[in-house]
Amino acid sequence: MPQREFDITIGADGEVELHVKGYKGKTSCQGATKIFEQIVGEIKSQRETNEAYEPDEVVQYRIDHRH
Amino acid sequence: MGAITILAPVLVAAWPAFSAAVVAAATSLGYAMAKEMKHGLADERRQTKAVNSVQLQVPRSEVVTDQLGRDQTITVAREGVAVTFSRDARGKATLCVTGEGHSQAALQAMGEELSQRVVQRYVYQKIMNEMKTRQFLVVEEETDANHAIHLKVRHWES
Repeated sequence: MPQREFDITIGADGEVELHVKGYKGKTSCQGATKIFEQIVGEIKSQRETNEAYEPDEVVQYRIDHRH
Repeated sequence: MGAITILAPVLVAAWPAFSAAVVAAATSLGYAMAKEMKHGLADERRQTKAVNSVQLQVPRSEVVTDQLGRDQTITVAREGVAVTFSRDARGKATLCVTGEGHSQAALQAMGEELSQRVVQRYVYQKIMNEMKTRQFLVVEEETDANHAIHLKVRHWES
């Protein structure tokens, strides 16, 4: 199972800086950011880190056939 | 992906959650519930005469309550300054800062500091509740010298 991580800083004025880590590709991360948008409030700004430019994750399964 | 997002807090709370945030914030700044401070305030009133008062609003706030709860207030006090939180007619959270021997500017600064801390405590509690509900694990928590709260949260997706 891939590990996801959030670094959250709640400033003394309540403003929140959220660093989402462990998501590869844009689509897999947007849901996580959405969670915090719903909890905290409005997005003031957003910038992507290097992971954003990696391909979206694909889950691969390996099935071993034993005879 | 990785992303760094800045979020502006919006406080939408029922009175119990709001007053809990007020108590937590006030305690962290050295305020006490007014009931405990009544005697001390009365003593200080005899010594000084100039009473100033400032009315402030908690930005982007809404206190949700029913008809019976509309007149609820909570008062905290520190060093002769009393801060009363309430809900205005439009549902916004407001605070009235009153103090003897303090300038309007000083009262405003104290009110803004407390108001911001209330929002911080509200956001903190909301995030912690949500993390627990989602079974996300808070692995680190610390408060820095600037009173910012840092949380590290992990979870695993199948």
